[in-house]
Amino acid sequence: MSASFERLIDGIIDALQSHVVPHSNDDFVRGQVFSAIYALNGLKLAADWKAGPLLEQVRLQDDAFAAVTRLADGMIHPEIPITPRVQGNMSNAAAIEAVRDAGDRRLGELLLWASGEAARAANRDAATEIERLLRRAICDQLKIELATTPKSMLQQIAGGERDGGAAQG
Amino acid sequence: MLEAAQRSDDVTAAAPVPTRPVVVNDDAVRTALALHLSRISGSGTEITSFGRKSSGFSWITYAFVARSAADGERKLILRVGPPNGLFAPYSVLPQVFALQALAGSGVPVPALVSSEQDGAEIGFPFFICEHIEGDVPAPWAASELDPDHKRAIARQFVEILASLHRIDPDATPFVSLQRGDERAEVQAIAGWRASLARPTARYYPLLDWGGRWLHDNCPQPSRRTIVHGDYRIGNFIEHEGRITAILDWELTHLGDPREDLAWAMMPTFNARSRKLYGVLERAEVIDLYQNASGIAVSDKSLAFYEAYALYQAAAIQMCAVRAFEVDRFNDMRLAVMASQMPSIVRAFERALEAAA
Repeated sequence: MSASFERLIDGIIDALQSHVVPHSNDDFVRGQVFSAIYALNGLKLAADWKAGPLLEQVRLQDDAFAAVTRLADGMIHPEIPITPRVQGNMSNAAAIEAVRDAGDRRLGELLLWASGEAARAANRDAATEIERLLRRAICDQLKIELATTPKSMLQQIAGGERDGGAAQG
Repeated sequence: MLEAAQRSDDVTAAAPVPTRPVVVNDDAVRTALALHLSRISGSGTEITSFGRKSSGFSWITYAFVARSAADGERKLILRVGPPNGLFAPYSVLPQVFALQALAGSGVPVPALVSSEQDGAEIGFPFFICEHIEGDVPAPWAASELDPDHKRAIARQFVEILASLHRIDPDATPFVSLQRGDERAEVQAIAGWRASLARPTARYYPLLDWGGRWLHDNCPQPSRRTIVHGDYRIGNFIEHEGRITAILDWELTHLGDPREDLAWAMMPTFNARSRKLYGVLERAEVIDLYQNASGIAVSDKSLAFYEAYALYQAAAIQMCAVRAFEVDRFNDMRLAVMASQMPSIVRAFERALEAAA
């Protein structure tokens, strides 16, 4: 299980126990909250992030690494991972997340290199093309995360109001 | 902000060790508050109507009534910097400087009552200021307020910003916030870069690359001023058609005044609208600001600071994620902020394209 997932569940449980239960004098409501805490503890044992979107991000990264390898041929560049980096049917989300995060670090190194003076001096056209390709690939990766992100509730979250009315000063 | 980037754990790349969450106990704060106010006033002080306010993601805010023989009954606000909060470790100095230096200026602020950096009785950095009657408009959703009313408020909002930027910072304590020889506005960027580079934050390649670009391409300001740092809809109190207090001075620093202008115009803080408060066109905002402040705002400089605003927003979101995941600050609102990162980073990439 990823640390983030476990921490999220722990945080929800703590928020319910620390901030909701002490302010509820209704037995039924308290029963609902404790049931929710029980269910969350169950989820913590059984569930995890979905592996699918993470695998898709890793695949996009691999495509970018392969393309940069071709474009940077003959140039001195940061190390590019050998692809594919995930073999077989890996389903451990924490392990895939670690591969994705390591891939992000490599993409960052390559992007900084491609937009730097040394790469421009070596081959301006290739460096520019690599920078564009990397920016596009990273944005495509973000789109996958956006697809699994719920609609923003900042107004309700910040003000604690069910219908999103104005917060009071 | 530089303080946020300089925690003791920044020097190690070791995996974070879960720690016991530090809980700010409201009852203990209330008891300590009574002791503190009794001590500074020399008169036994009773605290009533004490309650935590939900607004704000960083300092913990309490509203209360203090009653004593010396001062009678006063409605006050206490703000406490928790040791594991969004920008911990906290300094009260920017807020204290603001409330002291701006009192009686064209920038309305609540009167400062007391402050302690070392925490004194309460145990955390804190300050106490007067309570200001009025409403805080919500930045994230369109309100039902009359558009003419909103226009009047939006114009005041811009005029007050211009007043802030007309103040000579060398004549205020803010000048002591400047460190080293690096340009103040570049220091501000460097602070957020350091924050994002902390080993426990998730790495976003576009932020790393974009941070370097901002650092290398930061324009020279025509004038260096006090910058509020979080000047937006939602950080002021209005009462009967007047803005009566500008709030939340924790990110105040010296720098380029156009930073505040770009931050205020972010659609995020204007119910997703490109218009300020959903009513004032950008061109009108810029005209009004230029005329009131005497500071020129070019399209290019504004584009730079609009990109910087998104970069700063991303860094703040990451501070929230860190406070929740690493420092175990149990506020679920901070955990939820992580979900905003993909959209902010994509918007930042587009803004950089426009600024380059």
